[in-house]
Amino acid sequence: MDSRPSADAWPPVVTGARPPLPVKIVIAGGFGVGKTTAVSSISEIPVLTTEAAMTQAGAGIDLTSHTPGKTTTTVALDFGCITIDDEIKLYIFGTPGQDRFGFMWHDLTAGALGALVIVDTRRLDDCYGAVDYFEHNDTPFVVAVNRFNGRLDHHLEDVRWALAIPDSTPLISFDARERASVRDALLSVLQRSLQRAEHRVLRR
Amino acid sequence: MSSAEHDPSRLRPYLDRTVGSSAEVPADYGQAGDGKASGLRPYLLTGGRARPLDADLEIEAQVMTTPAGRADAGRLTFELRDIVVLCQQPIAIAEMAARLGLHLGVARVLAGDLIALGYLAVRRPDSGLHNDVQIIERVIRGLQTIR
Repeated sequence: MDSRPSADAWPPVVTGARPPLPVKIVIAGGFGVGKTTAVSSISEIPVLTTEAAMTQAGAGIDLTSHTPGKTTTTVALDFGCITIDDEIKLYIFGTPGQDRFGFMWHDLTAGALGALVIVDTRRLDDCYGAVDYFEHNDTPFVVAVNRFNGRLDHHLEDVRWALAIPDSTPLISFDARERASVRDALLSVLQRSLQRAEHRVLRR
Repeated sequence: MSSAEHDPSRLRPYLDRTVGSSAEVPADYGQAGDGKASGLRPYLLTGGRARPLDADLEIEAQVMTTPAGRADAGRLTFELRDIVVLCQQPIAIAEMAARLGLHLGVARVLAGDLIALGYLAVRRPDSGLHNDVQIIERVIRGLQTIR
């Protein structure tokens, strides 16, 4: 490909004068819980993947003194996007990490409008880390039980009890394969974001 | 440029290892999907740095090649040149990383360097944006139109 296009090819005409304003929502949860399925159901582009480093707090005995209790693992980060209007572009990052999180997790989630934590009721403990993280960081989030094969095996009240999340945290069920269902799950996240933002405006 | 965007073999380098992508993908650097180079030296590309010059550079920040970046592309090293060639249109740093098969941390560092050099323009999410009622309402309205 010619890497020296003629001068009149600049500026590029495709997207108008300014780059879009990026915003993001994070989808978190354990391995195989449906994060990538959810992203691909709603994204307007095929799901993209990149590798990212995750620092995890180690379990058990520390073997080395200069890396106290931490290991760095490389994980795949899946994401997609939705063009919201002529200016805003929404990115949706499916963020792995069913264990404890370290500083790279902060890089991935900083500035997010909110988060959707997907739960597999067969492996509830996989989402504890994400729930803890978002609670402590004051990130608006919604917990969503993925209806595998369209079925919900447990009552939501029982899931809420098992996860020990307060009544103020929305708990929904959805189907990661269904575009409309993922859309509604993201909308419930944004309602939480909106509530928090309005609360902050009132406090000023 | 647009052909690269629509070529499915470039979209999911890590997931689909069966596609014979060697013809489409430059073979000369760490294409993470090929299982050979990526584990060995991602941070060699950054001189060992794990953090970008601006440590807060977001992975969704939009980058776009400047005229200066275009003019000097030929003098840049492989990885930096690939970035300024790819980013003729605005693209998120994460998207750039995925399309070039770069580790996300490496892509952040290199993008930060190119921004500092004036070769990439950047549009970042405004600070405090996640608390901006009007922005959130616009995102809600946009999502509601999805059927």
